[in-house]
Amino acid sequence: MLISEDLTCQQLVELVTAYLDGALAPEDRDRFEQHLVLCDGCSWHIDQMRRTIAFAGSLTEESITPQAEEGLLRAFRDWNCG
Amino acid sequence: MRAYKFLRPGAVGPFSGFAWPVGEWVEAREPTLCESGVHACRIQDLPYWIAAELWEAELEGAVREEPRKLVATRARLVSRVDRWDARAGAAFAHACAQRVRTRADEATGEKAERLGAYAADAAANAERGEVALLGYIAARAAEVDSGIEGYVSEREAQARWLAAELRLEP
Amino acid sequence: MAQVEAAEAQLLDALRAGDEGTFTALVREYHPSLLRVARMRVSTRASAEEVVQETWLAVLNGLDRFEGRSSLRTWVFRILTNIAKTRGQRDARAVPFSALAEAEGDEPSVEPERFAPPGERWAGHWRSYPVRWDALPAERLLAAETLARVEEAIKALPPAQAQVITLRDVEGWSSEEVCSALEISETNQRVLLHRARSKVRGALDEYLTEADRC
Repeated sequence: MLISEDLTCQQLVELVTAYLDGALAPEDRDRFEQHLVLCDGCSWHIDQMRRTIAFAGSLTEESITPQAEEGLLRAFRDWNCG
Repeated sequence: MRAYKFLRPGAVGPFSGFAWPVGEWVEAREPTLCESGVHACRIQDLPYWIAAELWEAELEGAVREEPRKLVATRARLVSRVDRWDARAGAAFAHACAQRVRTRADEATGEKAERLGAYAADAAANAERGEVALLGYIAARAAEVDSGIEGYVSEREAQARWLAAELRLEP
Repeated sequence: MAQVEAAEAQLLDALRAGDEGTFTALVREYHPSLLRVARMRVSTRASAEEVVQETWLAVLNGLDRFEGRSSLRTWVFRILTNIAKTRGQRDARAVPFSALAEAEGDEPSVEPERFAPPGERWAGHWRSYPVRWDALPAERLLAAETLARVEEAIKALPPAQAQVITLRDVEGWSSEEVCSALEISETNQRVLLHRARSKVRGALDEYLTEADRC
């Protein structure tokens, strides 16, 4: 007997990105969430995915160097006066 | 309108990970066909969404009824249903397991064997402290026993059990 | 969407009127995305910075002719891609993004050994549950080393996957913006994003749980 005959864990993990993007059809979304109600393993897997996304989002921003910015501003002034 | 929400410990949404502020109104976008809104349970929906905490909620605005849930544009948590705790969860699981056992005992032939396996699964998982899973096992066993009506009746019985045990108002 | 268009129309007007504040803000806002994407296509950071500079010059040259059929961001990004490609082309043959995308394998997102095989009673279910990262010590999760591993994992991805995860998750672009900029379908974009995220998650999981066992 399967925990959720509609969707196995192995199938669910392939749908995580679509789920997080809100791209699953309503019935698929329901099946996905019903599986999560019953399956801690998949809930924790999704939690890992969410944290992975959050980590990626917190990679430091590269700032433009003051010299590069100066150069572009000069180019902008030239362009504007041309 | 009154509704209920099962949440993770700390009033955290089980799918969104959203930490619900108690008492404050939370807005969601319009519930369209591609649905985006706050989900909540009528009493009949409860067995499908079992989680650690149960909260009474208030819904406002456009509320869409779906087969197993309500979808609203605005909601707030009113108060925690304290009666829903580990003990109550265990009692729910035990009641489900009992019903599966009864079905297995009263069945004959090949069905008795299949239901026997379900009963063993139910007992083992109840022992391990599973709650939502027991509701599922009991419903599937009921389906094996008497088809889709059996599944539906079992879920309805689970909902009634929760409403009575937790003294929930519809 | 009308709000975004109105805001962008205002921005274009300000640029064409020579508003330096607007230009500076724009350059600073786009810089992280542009630099990251440029770095994926050229070999050195210095090269990438030059590509970004050239991009802005080309943007200025083309600004009067920009009709707004795509968003400004998409347009700037396309200019960047072309410039970076030209540079990269000196060394290698340029491959269209869509071709790169298709060539990038088809592995399952989680190793099959993590699940019970077909035929077993619990076929398709976890053999052992994933580790709860939220149960790991906070210092581990918040450490700079962890972020370094994430960066490393993204750099190690095949190019199309790296591109998509960088724009979506590192830089926070929407799905529509990425599809528009890379000229790929939503489905393709999602497949690439899924593979990319899965690999990064896998690398992170290995790192976080390995050290835990020490």
